[in-house]
Amino acid sequence: MQLNETANADARDEALALAAFAVAAAVDGGATAAEATLAINDRFGAEARGGELTKLEQSRGRSLSMRTFVGKRRASLSTTDLTHDGIRALAKRIVAAAAFVSEDPHAGLPDTVTPAQEDAALEMLSPDVAAREPEAKIDDVIELERLIRQADARIDNSRGSHAGDTQATVALVNSLGFRGAYRMTSASRSTSPIARDGDDLRIGSYGSAARGYAGLESVADVARQAAKRALDLCGARRPGTLRVPVIFERDVAAAVLSDLFNAVNAANIAVGNSYLTDAIGETVGSAHVTIVDDGRLPGGLGTSPFDAEGTPTRMTTVFERGVLKSFLYDTYYARRLGAQTTGNASGGGIGVNNFYLYSGDHTLDELIAATSRGVLVYDTIGFATEHASGTYSRGARGVWIENGEIAYPVDGFTIASNFKAMLAGIDMVANDVRFDSGIVSPSFRVTEMTISGD
Amino acid sequence: MRWADAQETVFACRILSARSRCAYRRLGSFGGAECATGACRRLHGAAFKGCDRCARESTRVHTGLDRDLLGQLLARALRRGGDYADVFFEHRTAQSFRLQDGRIHEAGLAVVRGVGIRVIAGERAGYAHSDDLSPAALRRAADVASLIAHSAASGEPVVDLSARVAPHLYQPAAEAAPAGRFVDLLSRADVAARAFDPRIAAVNAYVSDETQFVQIATSTGELVTDLRPLVTLGVQTVARSDGRRANGYFADGGRTALSIYDAKTPESIATEAARIAVTNVDARETPAGEMTVVVGAGGGGVLLHEAVGHGLESDFNRQGTSLYSGRVGERVASDLVTIFDDGNLAGERGSVAVDDEGTPGAHKVLVENGILRGYMQDRLNAKLMGVQSTGSGRRQSFRVMPQPRMCNTYMPSGTSTFEEIIASVDRGIYATSFAGGQVEISKGDFVFMVAEGYLIEGGKITAPVRGATLIGNGPDAMTKVVAVGNDGRLANRSYTCGKGGQMVPVGVGMPTVKLASCTVGGSSVGTGNER
Repeated sequence: MQLNETANADARDEALALAAFAVAAAVDGGATAAEATLAINDRFGAEARGGELTKLEQSRGRSLSMRTFVGKRRASLSTTDLTHDGIRALAKRIVAAAAFVSEDPHAGLPDTVTPAQEDAALEMLSPDVAAREPEAKIDDVIELERLIRQADARIDNSRGSHAGDTQATVALVNSLGFRGAYRMTSASRSTSPIARDGDDLRIGSYGSAARGYAGLESVADVARQAAKRALDLCGARRPGTLRVPVIFERDVAAAVLSDLFNAVNAANIAVGNSYLTDAIGETVGSAHVTIVDDGRLPGGLGTSPFDAEGTPTRMTTVFERGVLKSFLYDTYYARRLGAQTTGNASGGGIGVNNFYLYSGDHTLDELIAATSRGVLVYDTIGFATEHASGTYSRGARGVWIENGEIAYPVDGFTIASNFKAMLAGIDMVANDVRFDSGIVSPSFRVTEMTISGD
Repeated sequence: MRWADAQETVFACRILSARSRCAYRRLGSFGGAECATGACRRLHGAAFKGCDRCARESTRVHTGLDRDLLGQLLARALRRGGDYADVFFEHRTAQSFRLQDGRIHEAGLAVVRGVGIRVIAGERAGYAHSDDLSPAALRRAADVASLIAHSAASGEPVVDLSARVAPHLYQPAAEAAPAGRFVDLLSRADVAARAFDPRIAAVNAYVSDETQFVQIATSTGELVTDLRPLVTLGVQTVARSDGRRANGYFADGGRTALSIYDAKTPESIATEAARIAVTNVDARETPAGEMTVVVGAGGGGVLLHEAVGHGLESDFNRQGTSLYSGRVGERVASDLVTIFDDGNLAGERGSVAVDDEGTPGAHKVLVENGILRGYMQDRLNAKLMGVQSTGSGRRQSFRVMPQPRMCNTYMPSGTSTFEEIIASVDRGIYATSFAGGQVEISKGDFVFMVAEGYLIEGGKITAPVRGATLIGNGPDAMTKVVAVGNDGRLANRSYTCGKGGQMVPVGVGMPTVKLASCTVGGSSVGTGNER
């Protein structure tokens, strides 16, 4: 069921042809401008529990998303009905709906068309995704299940081990003459062992994702890390209620950055829904806070040659040594806020490319050693950051630190602060970043947050 | 793609007030009442009753699959063996409009149409989907799904399908609402939110009207169709005061037509969103520590959904990964606690006349006077556990396999009055509504993000507080329920639940409930009863 190069080339032609057809259908239906994105994803997924394969999924999924403009009025469409008749009928329907939309002077396609260029240096394609046999992928998940159980007698169950990959083709066509397509691959493996801890069940979860199998952490490493996470939490107790330094391990640090992205998303800035709304040029973080969005990071999972509007991707410095330098824009919000697009158009809104905090020069162990009393957080739970006020509060679990050493696991507590204080309080950054997502971070320490427990 | 996206994340569930654009996109709820029942109505000149003729009409209008083809696909899917196969066809149309800065910002239309084919062999499930409805593409999908089974082929089984229509549960609109109707609702919401208070600095509003036609065929001979409406009107406001900012969000709707907003006016929804923002902009920091918590009627039901509901879904219990595994008949909560899950409540977001496996929605007793009574079952887990499906098999779309899920989860009224409950608290938090919650199934730890909260001091509600998070452990919190109000009600219809990356609309409800103690995760230390 694997795709070969011919099939990939066919997918590229099919995607470009359907996108072009959709643009023509919209224009025929009365649109003055239109832009269509056609995505074709070939996905494979396998899950095992115990010694058994439990799920096997394999499909080609196609979808069209289109933005149309009737003068300065906009209407959007997404559909999985890709028949010509279907596309024509839906295009007509959204053009009719656009008549009820208010005129917006900033609405429209980008001002200019930059010819699309595929760039091998972006390293978006890994041939091993197509080449690896399904049997080998299935063996991987069964092996993950075996290794987590072998790691410790307390692990005798799991929420399953997973492996999956995608071969994707994205084509973008607009009525100004832009016509581009790119292909990309990704692969991932993960496992979630459960350790018995008296009457409690402790779940650990760990995985790896990359553009291809060669970039993944090994089956053995993924199993070992996941087992460690489950076992590390055995015997966890609740800390007290007090203010101490908090170290965010890299995956939770990335979750903090994804909240921060919302605060620099120009769509939130435009409506005042961000505590950073008027803060360009201001120092809002410590000197350790340098955060960029890089659309061209080789091999990055957020890398692409152009964004959802056909704007070439680039590197944007968002924070530089604590100073807020730029928000992230698409064409519309750039016009509205008097700025230039940063190539962050995504799915009808604004999204990250590769958004990450620059590494420091410490190891995570050095962050721990430098902390006389505090907490190292492995996981957070909860998600409602108040972007307007910057209030931050999460359930957390991890390990307590006393005198620069890990003392015991802790859970059942919250960590709270506000984003301004957290950014200003980042005083140490580690060098352990891994690029397994569009938003990543090395581990970092915040000087003081409120721990709420017993 | 983050690796966690590909699997059940550690924190397997989150429920959220459907507020963000991306949540809506995941939901695919871009509105659009289309036709099938409208066609039936025109044919019969009467209200839709779900007759066979309507079903045929629905199938035709939505180009559901031909019965013979469905039978062939099921037979083909089982030709390598396997216990069971099903074909799920979906055609969802959603129309929406969005308002920003006092203007109609954008019109949207979303169509999700395709077929998913599943084969179950013991504990194993094979799956493939196709947006290409040609018989050749569907046969390929059946072949891929069949790969999961590898018993000796005994020839293709014969599947004889007999059609039925899902029970009548919701009333879709007769025909697609005119665009002007959406625009009117949004404009009225905008005016009302701004008029509420001069501190309201920004208003975003969203209205969507969706119709989902489903057709489910099973190798046990069932062929069921259902037509599910879903409308949502959501208003998000930002209040500004002395350089401080705060959000307020409120939404309502349900499995019904836009005519619901004749009674449930856009003004009332917008005013509620504005009131929450203005309350929060003046709120003080939440004290941190362990204290008494009173959870408000209606939206407080998120507590049940997280603290108990997910732990009672049958997949986790069959696998022994839920802390409620094997505990049916045992005490898991104080005797004041009774919890139902109901797929049959007219108009509620979580209701399904039939679930996404064709099983009728049902009323389930999950916990009765503190005793665990049963789990929520889909077909795969029910079969493996030797019981019947409870109509809880739900899925986000044709691209994914169903999972056991909640529908509308609620607690019936108790006997205390609201006033008695508040007066009994010397110092604590009154959380009237939650922006969302999340739970880790295995250990049972949960969090709730308070959308609107107040301090209770000396038996009286005093100042608003913001940014509060409640954290606890499911069974532990349920033993701490010491009072249940007589004011039970369902929450506003705005909740969406995520599990294993799949979002489905749900309902929650509860009376006012007093928890003797709960950890409040505020940022202010020293003003609470720190120990």
